[in-house]
Amino acid sequence: MIDNIPPGLIMILGALVLPFLAHRAQAIGVLVLSLISMVVFWFTPETTLGQFELLGMTLEAIRIDRLSRLFGIVFHIAAIVSAIYALHVRDTRQHVAGIVYAGAAIGACCAGDLLTLFVYWELTALASVFLVWASDNERAYKAGMRYLIIQVTSGVLLLSGAIMRFVETGSLAFGSFVVEGEPLSASAFLILFAFGIKCAFPLLHNWLQDSYPQATVTGTVFLSAFTTKLAVYSLIRGFAGYEPLIWIGCAMTLFPIVFAVIENDLRRVLAYSLNNQLGFMVVGIGIGTELAINGTVAHAFCHIIYKSLLFMSMGAVLFRVGTIKATELGGLHKSMPWTTFFCIIGAGAISGFPLLSGFISKSMIISAAAETHQFWVWFILLIASAGVMEHSGIKIPFFAFFAHDSGKRVKEAPANMLVAMAIAAFFCVALGVAYPVLYRMLPHPEIDYHPYTVTHVVTQLQLLMFAALAFVFLMKSGLYPAEQRATNLDTDWVYRRALPRFVSALKTVGGAVDQAIRNDGRTILKGCISSANQTFNDRGVLGRTWTTSTMTFWATILLAICLVLYYL
Amino acid sequence: MTEPKPTTEPSWFEKPRNIHWMIGGLVVACLALVLADLFYENPHPHFPKWENVIGFQAWFGFIAFVVIVFLGRLLRVIVRRPEDYYDR
Repeated sequence: MIDNIPPGLIMILGALVLPFLAHRAQAIGVLVLSLISMVVFWFTPETTLGQFELLGMTLEAIRIDRLSRLFGIVFHIAAIVSAIYALHVRDTRQHVAGIVYAGAAIGACCAGDLLTLFVYWELTALASVFLVWASDNERAYKAGMRYLIIQVTSGVLLLSGAIMRFVETGSLAFGSFVVEGEPLSASAFLILFAFGIKCAFPLLHNWLQDSYPQATVTGTVFLSAFTTKLAVYSLIRGFAGYEPLIWIGCAMTLFPIVFAVIENDLRRVLAYSLNNQLGFMVVGIGIGTELAINGTVAHAFCHIIYKSLLFMSMGAVLFRVGTIKATELGGLHKSMPWTTFFCIIGAGAISGFPLLSGFISKSMIISAAAETHQFWVWFILLIASAGVMEHSGIKIPFFAFFAHDSGKRVKEAPANMLVAMAIAAFFCVALGVAYPVLYRMLPHPEIDYHPYTVTHVVTQLQLLMFAALAFVFLMKSGLYPAEQRATNLDTDWVYRRALPRFVSALKTVGGAVDQAIRNDGRTILKGCISSANQTFNDRGVLGRTWTTSTMTFWATILLAICLVLYYL
Repeated sequence: MTEPKPTTEPSWFEKPRNIHWMIGGLVVACLALVLADLFYENPHPHFPKWENVIGFQAWFGFIAFVVIVFLGRLLRVIVRRPEDYYDR
């Protein structure tokens, strides 16, 4: 019985009951539903379920294997932690949106066919946008609108790809689209594009930095966990070993770190950092060896937890201080010591300090690049690792909690937020220490990998400590760029500024042309009317009064012509 | 939870003496990490030309960090706009 419940459905259906509960009970309801769903999912065996025929297509609604199971588990952990973090919120919209969103993401990672995937894919988009809109301001509304349009576009591309795939192959099964030695088919390319939007590929990335920092304090924590990692899961399933992904991933690890250096909004810094972390995963998917795939899955798992932790700590700062701009923060370690402590653990985990979760997962991807002898990939990933240390390892905790004292004295974060952060921090340490537990659950458990070799630990510490030394050097010499209040342009400039300007310019030009045509037409018409007037008025050639003799003369001529014609 | 009293008293992390200690500690740790390279051997380096250089990841990390920050300064010149740029 228990293994017949589709994953995520408890949360999605449970959400329908939430609005009828008292405000206080809603938050607890979200937590209880997530916990029940987690227990049920944990005991659901690896299986495929729900096969049925629809309009001649064989659909397989549920497939739980090692890969989807691990993503399902970490999505549940993220949902539970986010629910605890949001316990103080009294807003029906956010609770319903949050749990439907989490449920849809869990359903999506257990979808066996493309059509089911599409349904959940769009449900995540629709549910999550309310977390942005719940901020209740004009900026958030507009950012949410852009987010929704982009997310739904991704879904539409996925559906188009799925339909084309069905026409090509007669099947909607969601498996690998990569055929060795052959280019991607058109349908596979469309699907890759759909995944790429959600995974924030370079140039398609900016919805992330645009919308996440606009969401509510608790909403961003939900957002950071699901959408992009669902895309990572889908890429692993569909495009593992597709080589161009290596270079896309490399680009993704590099450019966001430069943007993160100068960004003032610390939640936006985290959004750029999220992009950079996704880059590591995309590289892993592109390499596609068993070690690389293991590394990618492990990294996604660890990442969801430490990134939630970082977003939670910055959320707590925003909640208490009312701003998250680096220029207005600083010195908060005095009044928010626990938040500071948890944030530093998250920062250490994302940077990949030994004994914390990032170390045991990221090093696997870097080793996979080295083992396939891809020098430049390895080289770029090392640069990116130093970059992570810059934006998440140092910048986030330093500017929020230390730096110069902003003089702001606030309360420590609410107890429920601290508990959520403590759980996430616990996982960061536990995964870093008890890593074999995670390794055993990875898609290729037979791969033997040991992160804690002397070489790994020493070289990684060298990289991180010398990056920290570089920070001290730059701060002391005054070369580190001061935080400034500013908007930094990114690709969203294209559709927020360039396109509207272009359209309005087009309107102006079009209007001018239209006006010119109308004016000319009017002039011509006026000319016709006035010449008609002149011809037909009582002095015009055709309109003036003739004398009787002239009339008689012309009538006689006319009659004569008629007579001649008649006799011809 | 009681409201912390507003205080201008520097905390442990803000006292210049402690900051000096922390930086000193970092420098010592960095030196120790480079020296550590002399006491172990990488069992199978994948890119021996680079990996076998003493303290490779140390100076690599330092340079990469500095370059990233300078690229950031450069990028700021190009992309920086007033804060209310999109609201106007």
